[in-house]
Amino acid sequence: MSNAEGPQGAVETVIVVGGGSAGWLAACRLAARSVRNGSKIKVLLVESATVPSVGVGEGTWPTMRNTLRKIGIDETTFIRSCDAALKQGARFVGWTDGSAGDAYYHPLNPPAGAGEVDLAPYWLGLAAAEAQAGAGGDSSFADWVDYQAALCDAGLAPKTITAPEYGGQANYAYHLDAGKFATLLREHAVASLGVEHVVGDVVSVNQADNGDIRSVVLADGRILAGDLFVDCSGFAALLIGGVYKVPFRSCRDILFADRALAMQVPYQGEDDPIACHTISTAQDAGWIWDIGLWTRRGVGHVYSSAYISDDEAEAALRRYVGPASDALPLRKIAFEAGHRERFWQNNCVAIGLSAGFLEPLEASALMLIETSLDALVDRLPQTRSTMDAIARQFNETFDHHWQRIIEFLKLHYVITQRRDTAFWRDNAAAASMPAGLQERLDLWTHHSPAAQDFAHAREVFSWPSYQYVLHGMRFGSRYRGQPATADAGLVASLVARNDRIRDELVRKMPRHRDLLRAVREHGLQRV
Amino acid sequence: MSRVELLNPTDHGSLRFDRTVVGPGQRIVQIGLSEIPLVAADMPVCLAKDATTGRFNLVALVGLVDPANLFVHDRRFHATYCPRALQLTAFRLDTGGVAGLAIDPSDPAIGAAGDPLFEDGQPTPLAAGIAAALEHLVADIGAARDLVDGYAAQRLIRPLHLVLQTEDGHDHVIDGLYTIGTETLAQLADDAVLRLHRSGALASATLLSASLAQVERLCQLHAARGGQRLHITRLAHDDGLSGF
Repeated sequence: MSNAEGPQGAVETVIVVGGGSAGWLAACRLAARSVRNGSKIKVLLVESATVPSVGVGEGTWPTMRNTLRKIGIDETTFIRSCDAALKQGARFVGWTDGSAGDAYYHPLNPPAGAGEVDLAPYWLGLAAAEAQAGAGGDSSFADWVDYQAALCDAGLAPKTITAPEYGGQANYAYHLDAGKFATLLREHAVASLGVEHVVGDVVSVNQADNGDIRSVVLADGRILAGDLFVDCSGFAALLIGGVYKVPFRSCRDILFADRALAMQVPYQGEDDPIACHTISTAQDAGWIWDIGLWTRRGVGHVYSSAYISDDEAEAALRRYVGPASDALPLRKIAFEAGHRERFWQNNCVAIGLSAGFLEPLEASALMLIETSLDALVDRLPQTRSTMDAIARQFNETFDHHWQRIIEFLKLHYVITQRRDTAFWRDNAAAASMPAGLQERLDLWTHHSPAAQDFAHAREVFSWPSYQYVLHGMRFGSRYRGQPATADAGLVASLVARNDRIRDELVRKMPRHRDLLRAVREHGLQRV
Repeated sequence: MSRVELLNPTDHGSLRFDRTVVGPGQRIVQIGLSEIPLVAADMPVCLAKDATTGRFNLVALVGLVDPANLFVHDRRFHATYCPRALQLTAFRLDTGGVAGLAIDPSDPAIGAAGDPLFEDGQPTPLAAGIAAALEHLVADIGAARDLVDGYAAQRLIRPLHLVLQTEDGHDHVIDGLYTIGTETLAQLADDAVLRLHRSGALASATLLSASLAQVERLCQLHAARGGQRLHITRLAHDDGLSGF
């Protein structure tokens, strides 16, 4: 029974439309909040029995650990149920100039001394001095300011079996099977959180005079009334697009990719190493992702159909995987990079693919779902009368987030020195640069990326990410830390400490596969 | 260097076992369920994770800042009770050896003194007794693990934060130990409390908590050995989750 029209306009029933990762995460977060604070909000999820989930987003951010904890799913269950593996960052291969050995890490640990002292200028000073002395300078930025790249190179896990669930010696996120993840969330939502699960196809809606959705109508005639509707219907965008016609803002002029080919690659042997990071390898007209799960690798080619044919893209993917790919089927996904002009309209908020989609270069899909849910659930409108103000805040915040994510993804393409194909040449052209990025790059030529450069307190990509990419790709920064300054002693001690931690962890951390095996056999303790 | 071999009369026929001798090097020792009240009379009873499985083991804390057993002097254990595992460090169960045993001949309890393991090439009753004691200990440790798994299922286990300060102001953080969260225990539902009580787990939980007072005794033993005086600056369980 909907109450939003009543005198108080209380929000008591939330209807989630769509049952992929976004829908079930939304249902779980909303219901867990209700259970925790006793607000008795009823959560109902309706999903089609016939529309398959797209199943994107096999890589997460570390935020997923908090999300799962809030929902009440323990890490052992999650790892076992979703064939999950741990992820300590991404290794970008061939992005800087495409030469042999061209690779850098974007680890999930922040640089040592974050918030205390900025190590980047000192690393730049060291690199310049080494270059001047004719020395090669074998310390990458990620290695100099952090230890996680060494763990990734050695195939080691960020935690031991004695670490508590959701805790570790190094920061980490996950690689997961998105289909199994949705199943786990559904079972938990229904069995433990009291979410009502309805299977049916939404064919229309009933609207109030002010345009609010009163109820959704299913193909079999059932009517589901609610006070707030969460559109998680994927690319179909049944409510935000179908009902409200909120325009889609394409960013294909900035991010050229519009196709993906995905393949599931089995391991050759049962003890094969599992990479503890995403491997992103630049191609002629896009890039290939390579992620390790417990049971298989997920490998896919993201590319622009304006620069390469589907057949060429497939050939490149099969070349990357090698002979093992010969008998493996491919899944083709076409997409338009971009997002809705507004995400919250009337009493409907779009979360997930219905809100927009960007290539998974920095695993932003699930993260954006989580961030959206944090914003929605933490300030869930109590009444219809407060909804417009909250919606305005939400729209402003997420328009900002989408712009900044687009800009950060574009950064990878803009500062490359690759000019070997039209795809890379056009990417570096000023015409494809989002407003503001050139200004920031000019700023970052002379100043280290810092917290002041980012408007929001909870920026999705902040200065550490920019530093890892800019310095990983040897961006032409001109500022230098002076070795004789007062901070230099602190810098030296931080770097020495980082070296000590690296040596210790490389000695004591388990192989990633061994850790996952131990979790599957013995489980992690809560504390 | 530990060197475990299948027990046999050819190699070990002349060896003797002195059950009063205890090695000096262990800081924690695993104990069985039946040992809890006995151990708690002398030393803190805590939980520590198994390095291979991550599961909690029930342990007695017998040392603090150094890797040394503070109850051992002149190779003898000075307390009202000596944990069984400390008395049996020289032996392992192994069906391939005589009497179902393997032996570490380098263990300090093994040598020319004590009771013989073999007479005329035949195992003495002592060998069978050792095997029986080990089997009992394994079963008792299994029972302790069941007890602790029950605590874990009830989410009663908390990290133990133990910080000791030396006279010259240095802090020693002793981590890797866990205990029962008394607030969480107090908040358990009535039926859960009753189940814990009926199974004996509630009494054991109380003993574990009370035994933490023995940390002070370990500090005293440390000082008695000529070490710097240690002051307990923190001894508490914590609800916060560590790490990233």
